[in-house]
Amino acid sequence: MRYLCLILLGLLAAGEAWGYQEFQIWVDQQTTRNVNCALCHAHGDGPDGVKPGQIGSLDAEGLRSLEAARQAFEPGAEVESPILNAFGNKIIERLGRTGFINLRTRPEAFPEAYGLETDLDSDGIPDAQEYLDGTLATNPHHGAPLRLLLHNLRVNLGTLLLIGLATLLGLFGINNLLAWFALATADQQPSDAEHDEATHSEGGGSSNSDGTTEAK
Amino acid sequence: MRATQCLRSGIEFLAERFPIEKMNVRSMVQTKTVPVHRMSWAYYMGGLALFFFLIQLTTGLLLLFYYEPTVSDAHASVERITEHISGGALIRNLHTWSASAMILTVQLHMLTTFAMKAFVKPRELTWISGVLLLILTFTFGFTGYLLPWHQIAVNATKVGLQSIEEVGAYLPGAMSEWPGLIKELIQGEPSVGQATLSRFYALHVVLLPLAFFAVLGLHLLSVQLHGMSQGVDRPARRTERFFPFFILKDAWLWGLVFLVLFVLALCLPFEAFFSYPLFEAYDPMGSTPDGIKPEWYFYFIYYPLELLPFWVVMLAQTAAMVVLFAAPWIFKNSSRRTLGILAVAAALYLVVMTLFGQQIYEMFKGGA
Repeated sequence: MRYLCLILLGLLAAGEAWGYQEFQIWVDQQTTRNVNCALCHAHGDGPDGVKPGQIGSLDAEGLRSLEAARQAFEPGAEVESPILNAFGNKIIERLGRTGFINLRTRPEAFPEAYGLETDLDSDGIPDAQEYLDGTLATNPHHGAPLRLLLHNLRVNLGTLLLIGLATLLGLFGINNLLAWFALATADQQPSDAEHDEATHSEGGGSSNSDGTTEAK
Repeated sequence: MRATQCLRSGIEFLAERFPIEKMNVRSMVQTKTVPVHRMSWAYYMGGLALFFFLIQLTTGLLLLFYYEPTVSDAHASVERITEHISGGALIRNLHTWSASAMILTVQLHMLTTFAMKAFVKPRELTWISGVLLLILTFTFGFTGYLLPWHQIAVNATKVGLQSIEEVGAYLPGAMSEWPGLIKELIQGEPSVGQATLSRFYALHVVLLPLAFFAVLGLHLLSVQLHGMSQGVDRPARRTERFFPFFILKDAWLWGLVFLVLFVLALCLPFEAFFSYPLFEAYDPMGSTPDGIKPEWYFYFIYYPLELLPFWVVMLAQTAAMVVLFAAPWIFKNSSRRTLGILAVAAALYLVVMTLFGQQIYEMFKGGA
């Protein structure tokens, strides 16, 4: 009996340490993207281990923060668990641990429970949508390409207009510079007749205003 | 006697390809004309490839200010560039998008040049230098891919280097050792590590650019000396002056392409197309994420390697390289129609393998 209890305790501890993989598995199945524990955790391999962002690397203060986060059963508590990333902490804040754990059997219901209001990385894509897309809610450079493109186009419209204008002006300048240069060196170039003779030895031709020469 | 004859023919060959009497501004710029016909758009591909190379050079130099080529700091320095350096994300995205655009343009340039039979006498060396530039461009891609030191970079490089070693199994006697030695020479240590990163860094930022400049100089000189090839069977009815009209159109095209590139770099990070675990810092002790693949421009060889016996792919690749280098002599008497069909077939292969390689792989291997 004692051994059974120990095994059960061990399994519970392991479950805690490995995080809640149901969400990750569901996202993996629903999208064409592969995801890992970094969806909500500080480390891609999950909370178990001794690398930065994993339980084994925590100092006394880190362990206190972790314990405080583990006590946040109800929504509304601001948590800063060192083994979670900003999205993971926000989930606990919005749903509470109880609410989140209750969703384990229904990972598809997570976006509705979490809501579309928060966008932690300010990339224009709500965190819940990023969960559905299998992208990172904490990285402004990662998101569904089309959504990211449309948002960034809106945000950077002024910059893009300025760059467009600068490019046009630059090209206008180059246009005139080259035209002037061509005129200045025109006396050194062969006449049209000579030019045509050189390019169309069989028959000469006539020059057009757009710089093209037609062969006869 | 025979040696003297060989030397004389060699000198004559070079004199015909690099005529000294044409090496002046008047001949190479002022009187140069460009044929105007239905394939004229292809004349802009080389210039466009050069434009992307210049973007690579400029953005690459800017990235050098902050990038740190050590296994402990490389990934962090790239993250720093992307997230903390002003304009860093834009410069990095410009570099990434432009790299892909350069490879695409160089491939298109080669295919159109082939279809237009622009490699025949006296342009054989222009073609060969172009093939060298294509290989150098791919090598730029391969070496640059490792530098961010993330999961996909290191693991894909390992796969790439491993395939070099596998060639040894098909070579006789002592030659079978050579690929392994070459791999070790490139890698610098038993596994991909600091020595590999240092070597790839040196190749990417010093040796390859120097080699590229040298070959590019030869290529451009050759292009300017011989002018644009006729390109179509019937001589074009119209021509336009290279200077200033063709250059002006080139400049406008560069401007337009720059705008498109800028929009992409500012609004669409290249990494958004991939799963994020692939861009985490490489951890030799950690788990390897799914979906490790080389860059898209290597799919044309990656998927065949996954599907077919190694020797078949190597044989095909060697044959393709020989045909590429010897094209001016092999296809000397081929019609442009035949060359066009071959170029379209090659383009179709590249497009299908790049876009549908994964589906083809799953079809034959039954699931990813």
